[in-house]
Amino acid sequence: MDLTELSIVSIKTLLIYVAFIQVVPVMIWVERKGAALIQDRPGPNRVGPFGVFQPIADALKFLFKEDPVPKEVNRLLYNLGPFLILLPSSLIIAAIPVGDRVELFGRDILLQVADIDVALLFFLSISSLGVYGILFGGWASNNKYSLLGAMRSSSQVISYEIPIALSAANAVMFYGTFSLRQMVMQQEGVLLGFLPNWGIWFQPIGFLVLFVALFAETNRLPFDLPESEAELVGGYHTEYGSMKFAAFFMAEYINLATASALLVTLFFGGWHVPWLSDSWLLLKLGSQNVVALVQVAMFLAKISVLLCIFVWVRWTVPRFRFDQLMHLAWGNLIPLGLANIIVTAILLYFFEGR
Amino acid sequence: MEAFLPIGILFLFAVMLCAGIYVLTNLLGPRIFQKNKLSTYECGVQNPLFETNARLPFKFRFYLVAVIFLLFDVEGAFFLPWALVYRESLQLGANLLIAMLVFSVFIILGLIYVFQNNYLNVD
Repeated sequence: MDLTELSIVSIKTLLIYVAFIQVVPVMIWVERKGAALIQDRPGPNRVGPFGVFQPIADALKFLFKEDPVPKEVNRLLYNLGPFLILLPSSLIIAAIPVGDRVELFGRDILLQVADIDVALLFFLSISSLGVYGILFGGWASNNKYSLLGAMRSSSQVISYEIPIALSAANAVMFYGTFSLRQMVMQQEGVLLGFLPNWGIWFQPIGFLVLFVALFAETNRLPFDLPESEAELVGGYHTEYGSMKFAAFFMAEYINLATASALLVTLFFGGWHVPWLSDSWLLLKLGSQNVVALVQVAMFLAKISVLLCIFVWVRWTVPRFRFDQLMHLAWGNLIPLGLANIIVTAILLYFFEGR
Repeated sequence: MEAFLPIGILFLFAVMLCAGIYVLTNLLGPRIFQKNKLSTYECGVQNPLFETNARLPFKFRFYLVAVIFLLFDVEGAFFLPWALVYRESLQLGANLLIAMLVFSVFIILGLIYVFQNNYLNVD
């Protein structure tokens, strides 16, 4: 790999990373406006038109606040905690294909940070590293609320890892590959003459299991027991202040974006425009770069729809009790995922077997 | 290995973001010393127990949940390579299907055992 290639890769990586970080302020605004819409109140409306600059004002305020370190904490782990959550949630962006490819400077550039063969495994393994940040943050704070929140959160996150692995195994079985790019490639065109050729028609149960489990993985509201403010004040981030507190929320929203991106990639055709094939688009639009632009826009649109569903669910559904939460994972989602794998395997055998 | 290099670059950017957050918030924020501010947040309760150490022993059940998770996650990991080759192996007959069905029976028995003994009831 020579120097130009290295710089191209670096610039591409930076662009994709910044694009995913941009989701954070946008989502904060969308979430607060969505909450206001559902609860029939105006929401943020002072900073800029419709309060769109509210997240920027919040970030500046966080930056200019004191960052107190309580005297009972374990300083090293306390300082590491928020960043150990932010790092894995940033790293999993690498696995997500945001578009096909562009032709610039006489080179083919894939619109994905790293086109690795084991992208799905990479996603699963790195995303589960976030537990360490939660545990470190909660334990090092030396506070009852934080410790309880961290324990709840870790047992919740690891419980919902298994349904995710099972439904990922289902997707891998259907597509026959670990590469997210290959999976998207297989979802091109039209199915049965009127449906877009999406994975969700073939594995609806897998989608359901993954969708519910990702809610729990991202600590969103029907499963936000770790930070249930009525019982635990703030959960594992009770003792944090200033930008370190904001780092937890940045990680949460980046996780949300990558979770939606994973759902779009596995079940909603990734970057493909519904019903249309890439070669047809290339024929109509003429240039591969314009096609790539359309694809990225399509990918963003699909992610936005899913993010809106996340916000909608958060402000509509009440919180679970802890035993209900554990029972949902072990009693419902894991058997459902297992049954899904077995039924899919048997069906595949009857349709494609010798 | 060259395919993994961009992940290293992304890791560098992420570390730079974290370091930037840490340094900026320490540079820009004020530092005002106050004794009460540095005490542990405890809703105003003056309890000497809370002020020294909150890391009291917790319920054994959480440990049990972690062990059960480990077992089931390894079983889930066994599914992944199987799933990768399953569709291609269909040309050779039903061998892999039968092997997986036997394996699933063991997993389901384990799940039933966990529920029979009520191991997951943390509260």
